[in-house]
Amino acid sequence: MKKGKITITITIGLTFLILTAVIFIQFKTINQTDITSLENMREDELRTEISNFKQKSEEISKQIEETNLKIAEYEETISTDKEASELLEKELEQQNNLLGKNDVKGSGVIITLTDTKEQKITAQDLRELLNQLKLAGAEAISINGQRIVYDSYLVDIGDTYISVNGEGIVSPYEVKAIGNPTYLESGLSKKQYGYIDTKLEEGKDVVLTRQDNITINKYNGDLNMEYAT
Amino acid sequence: MVIIAIVIGCIVGALIGLNAPIISYTYSGYLAIAIIAALDSVFGGITSVLKGNFDFKVFITGFFGNAILSILLTWLGVKLNVDIYLAAIVVFVGRMFTNLAIIRRYYIEKWTKKTVKEETKNENEKKTMGEG
Repeated sequence: MKKGKITITITIGLTFLILTAVIFIQFKTINQTDITSLENMREDELRTEISNFKQKSEEISKQIEETNLKIAEYEETISTDKEASELLEKELEQQNNLLGKNDVKGSGVIITLTDTKEQKITAQDLRELLNQLKLAGAEAISINGQRIVYDSYLVDIGDTYISVNGEGIVSPYEVKAIGNPTYLESGLSKKQYGYIDTKLEEGKDVVLTRQDNITINKYNGDLNMEYAT
Repeated sequence: MVIIAIVIGCIVGALIGLNAPIISYTYSGYLAIAIIAALDSVFGGITSVLKGNFDFKVFITGFFGNAILSILLTWLGVKLNVDIYLAAIVVFVGRMFTNLAIIRRYYIEKWTKKTVKEETKNENEKKTMGEG
């Protein structure tokens, strides 16, 4: 073999060595490079990325503004809601007062009915008294501490006691009524056919006193309805 | 002998390439152009061997010169904001196809001649047998 041919052979071998080496390096590079990572991007790609990010940040700041506006709106509504809830609370208290679920205070009258030897006070007497009081504008009534509410009842249980709201009470019966004291008093003590006169004539012991500061306790039973909806 | 050198070179080159560190993605574009240029030279070399006018100096200078020139042109294109590498790829790949076509035709011709020869040979044999 000639010397020149050997040189040529080795050179061609080396050439192909370089070529394949470079090709495989390129394969590896392309395989392992994450095109999306910033270090591997070209300048123009980076520029487009930057402009994209700028746009995005602008959009986001716009969104932030909108959200802040919304938050302000919500805060406003919350404050108005507070007013509304205060109003509602007031209303609820009023309703509870009407229903008898709260202790109430005010001026009014106290009527005390006591059994005498001849005459016993019956539930009928008390019912009449309640009617008369309501007619005279009583706003809250209790008998021996039992608040009279919309479903209160007064029933004689034999000769022994009277049942109010399921609780037994006995003489003396103390009926508290809050309302305009003058109206209440005059409503009960009309001459001849007023309630007090009538009862006194029947021989029953009825005493009426005006009082400025009467406390009537709340109804302590259940006010839930089960069948009426 | 040359073929053995080529095979050994390819194997060793592949091993070196697999163990070499990767290069930056920015420069891999230049490297790709260089590879295309080199491959073009290789196919050109094969064609010239088949044609019988292979010149070793032309091959080696073409191999490295084309690769380096294409890299330089690509770099210039980046500086000028013109995609010159596209032109390089078009030229090199086009030439590669031309060379491949020439190689294909050469072997097809060779194979056709061979079969024709065999056929005539067989026919001649038949004739002699028939005569005998």
